[in-house]
Amino acid sequence: MTALAFDPLLPWAAVAAVAVVALAVAALAWGRGLRGWAWRALAGLALAAALAGPVLDSGIRRALSDIVILIEDASASQTLPGRADQARGAADALAASVAALPGTELRRIPLGDDPDGTLLGAALTRALAAEPEGRVAGVIAVTDGRAHDPRAIPATAPAPVHVVLTGQPGDWDRRLVIDEAPAFGLIGQPVILRLRVEDQGAVPPAVAGRAATLRLSIDGAEEQVLSVPPGVPLDVPVTPAHAGQNVVAARIDPPAADPAQLTALNDAAVIQIQGVRDRLRVLLVSGEPHAGERTWRNLLKSDTNVDLVHFTILRPPDKMDGVPLDELALIAFPTEALFQDRIKDFDLIIFDRYRIRGILPADYLDNIRRYVEDGGALLVASGPEMAGVESLHLSPLGPVLPGRPTGRMLDEAFRPTLTDAGRRHPVTAGLPGAGDDRAGTPGWGRWLRMGEIIPDADAEVLMSGAADLPLLVVNRVGKGRVALLTSDQVWLWDRGFEGGGPQLELLRRVAHWSMKEPELEEESLSAQVAVDQTVTVTRHTMGDSAGPVTVTGPDGAARALPLADEGDGRFAATFVAEAPGLYRLVDGDLTRLVAVATAAPREFEETVADARVLDLLVRATGGSVSRLSDGVPAVRTVRAGRPATGRGVAGSWIGITPRGAQAVEGTTRRPLMPGWAWLALIAALALAAWLVEGGRLGGRPARQGSRAGRRAQ
Amino acid sequence: MIRRRALVLAAALGAPLLVAGAALGQGDAPAPDPRLAAAANQLALAHVVTGDEAVDRTAAEGLAGLSLALAMRTTVEPGPPVAVALDVDDLSLLTFLYWPVTDTQPQPSPQAYVRLNRFLRAGGVILFDTRDGDVAGLGAPDGTAALRRLAAPLDVPPLAPVPQDHVLTRSFYLLEDFPGRWVGNPLWAEAPANPAGDPAGGGFRRLNDGVSPVLIGANAWAEAWAVDDRGLPVYAVGRGYDGERQREMALRFGINLVMYVLTGNYKSDQVHVPALLDRLGRESEGRP
Repeated sequence: MTALAFDPLLPWAAVAAVAVVALAVAALAWGRGLRGWAWRALAGLALAAALAGPVLDSGIRRALSDIVILIEDASASQTLPGRADQARGAADALAASVAALPGTELRRIPLGDDPDGTLLGAALTRALAAEPEGRVAGVIAVTDGRAHDPRAIPATAPAPVHVVLTGQPGDWDRRLVIDEAPAFGLIGQPVILRLRVEDQGAVPPAVAGRAATLRLSIDGAEEQVLSVPPGVPLDVPVTPAHAGQNVVAARIDPPAADPAQLTALNDAAVIQIQGVRDRLRVLLVSGEPHAGERTWRNLLKSDTNVDLVHFTILRPPDKMDGVPLDELALIAFPTEALFQDRIKDFDLIIFDRYRIRGILPADYLDNIRRYVEDGGALLVASGPEMAGVESLHLSPLGPVLPGRPTGRMLDEAFRPTLTDAGRRHPVTAGLPGAGDDRAGTPGWGRWLRMGEIIPDADAEVLMSGAADLPLLVVNRVGKGRVALLTSDQVWLWDRGFEGGGPQLELLRRVAHWSMKEPELEEESLSAQVAVDQTVTVTRHTMGDSAGPVTVTGPDGAARALPLADEGDGRFAATFVAEAPGLYRLVDGDLTRLVAVATAAPREFEETVADARVLDLLVRATGGSVSRLSDGVPAVRTVRAGRPATGRGVAGSWIGITPRGAQAVEGTTRRPLMPGWAWLALIAALALAAWLVEGGRLGGRPARQGSRAGRRAQ
Repeated sequence: MIRRRALVLAAALGAPLLVAGAALGQGDAPAPDPRLAAAANQLALAHVVTGDEAVDRTAAEGLAGLSLALAMRTTVEPGPPVAVALDVDDLSLLTFLYWPVTDTQPQPSPQAYVRLNRFLRAGGVILFDTRDGDVAGLGAPDGTAALRRLAAPLDVPPLAPVPQDHVLTRSFYLLEDFPGRWVGNPLWAEAPANPAGDPAGGGFRRLNDGVSPVLIGANAWAEAWAVDDRGLPVYAVGRGYDGERQREMALRFGINLVMYVLTGNYKSDQVHVPALLDRLGRESEGRP
């Protein structure tokens, strides 16, 4: 860039004055008819121009190199057999080819794995943003085209984008696609898994259209074998059998064909369905209205998932006041419906201060006993009636209750505390306010009375009250569970007496434990998989030791994993899962399946190379898609707007468009003419004026001049 | 006593104060007031001591009469009524408090109001009785200056006259009115939830199974319920047969009230039980 500038020797006013004087003198000379007036004017203006100091500014420019961006997809899907070498070789060849072009720089951008898959779009956008737009001459991506961020792919680029696909023309793959898998399912009610088998790429005729063998198993149980034609969605009903995680493993048998499919990693899927209970049906039977009744109601009604059927004995059969029935709001206790016909429908039966009053016949109480032994849940909160002859313990229900009353009531204030077993048991462990140190008494309010019982030998005493007598006792009977609270005063915690206590949490946990909530199991085995394939195994037990856990990997190899004691019945260990797949953890009767995914699960969803997601960008920039299986293309330079791909003698080529970018590195300032040249110019003009006026220039006779010229003679 | 003597001894021997502190820390807090502990165990009805001897005696006799009726007719068998001095007693062992309103009752202390508000939040119920049959005819829940003065520091929710379908009208007996010694005055309870609003309702409704923490009326119920030591009525109610019918209705109201306090919305939920059982049956038939 060169420009004319002025660097006046005198202030601009002086320069202007000189110019004005020169013009005025010339005008005067013209008026007088002097023939050399024009020369005089020029001489004066030349002087003014010399004073104005015209200079030339010129920049120093440097041509900039063009930049070619080379994106190398090194994501996990590129590790399929042959692809890594192919991609590396192609990238090196392209790099050499670019390096051979004069004035061209290469930016190699490696693209690794992300938990979200191959983020090719993000890498492209970032690489383009990092370089000056005016220098980018081309973008070459060596990839399988399986980008998992299609929305991040830029709409256009300043130079042609060439996609060089890895893979072979015969690549094909069969995969298992889970279209729909519910995360939650009601226990005992089938949920629908929608899955299909999809073939991609050049499927060999031996396999094309042939059904795949699909094997499904729930929680490692026996496999269900189905035949699934490719491309047809299939609805498979799966029934969660228990609360908590139900692990469904699905895999298709690898198709036998030559060439083999690209990968078997996408032939299996593990679906975890959280089994949840349908609405919980709770039957609450209150023997009499009492201060704690609303505590139960508050607990059960605060849970919108509970259908509460509540009966309170408002009037015993032996009390009659002669009030006509139509003035009473009492309804009969539908004992037959509840304890004979519908008893199996309840998830939990609670007896709250119930005394045998001849309302429930012995047959019905025996039904409840059978209900418990068949897997039901029973909760008994007893008041003083437990010590009397109307105690439930003396009824047919007695044998399933986890203790035998001595008949003594303790009418004294006591603070409920956790027993050693209670600190370990999930029902009471970590109750709010229970106190963290073992010696500390909980900061709960006191209760004022309790009944004395002798707990059964196999029952667990979780809380103790006055004189360390059992307060909360739980036991398993047959397939069912029973909990007994030997005091009716849990409501004092609700009322905030002496600060109260966690009555809702305690009762909630007792109720849910008795309904076999997996989180509250005493003996539990759980596993957590971290992102880095580390599996943390946690074993919770009421015993003093646990483990080792037998870990069986997907390859069938079993090993023992010793557990470390973490206190309060928790034992834990970690191991690193070397290969993806299902791991089976076994400790005694406890079995847990844990699914370990591949490090980059999305990478292997689709593996056949395909540039479809990049197609728009390639077309918008005039780039090309080529396959490495046809040979590594050469790189040429072409002018922008010309076709940027073609086929030459030596093979195909791809074009980059040199941008001719330049950088200005500095400027120089030179005077238009040196001082002596100005002097010579002015002198020459003045001489010319003198000569013209003297008639010695131009050979023109003086008489041919103007009137002024004549007069001067 | 033994412990206290041991402490005195320890102090006398110049034992460090720390020992005494540790001993106190390990020992239990003072035993709760035996009267109130018995009330908690036996579900005694309680009334507020107003300082007016006649009113307090009537309240005690009234609650005794109601307790007797409850014991004779229902499974609730309350212990002897408890008189509660608001400034001293811990209310958290109680469930129901009858509060006859007098002009002369001194204002309870701020600490007492803290306890009262905690009592209301934790599920307690207070029945205010202005005992005047609303002679002024104001027809508002804060009809008397004394009630306004006494109840002002309480967290009382918005009130409304008890509607005809309120659970109080069917928690044991079917009632249309809530007579005491007087009849025809409305009983005020927490206003029903705004049907357009939160279906669960806010405030106390969610906390306490829909039980209104405060009930306000003017029918001098204690006088209608009151019996003497021999179980005979203390006050005349109405005239002749109609009067005795009114006393019976007052007792029925008392029984309904105690059932309401103890069982909350149990009776209104029971409406749904047949439907619920029906559904259980249908679903179990549908189950595999």
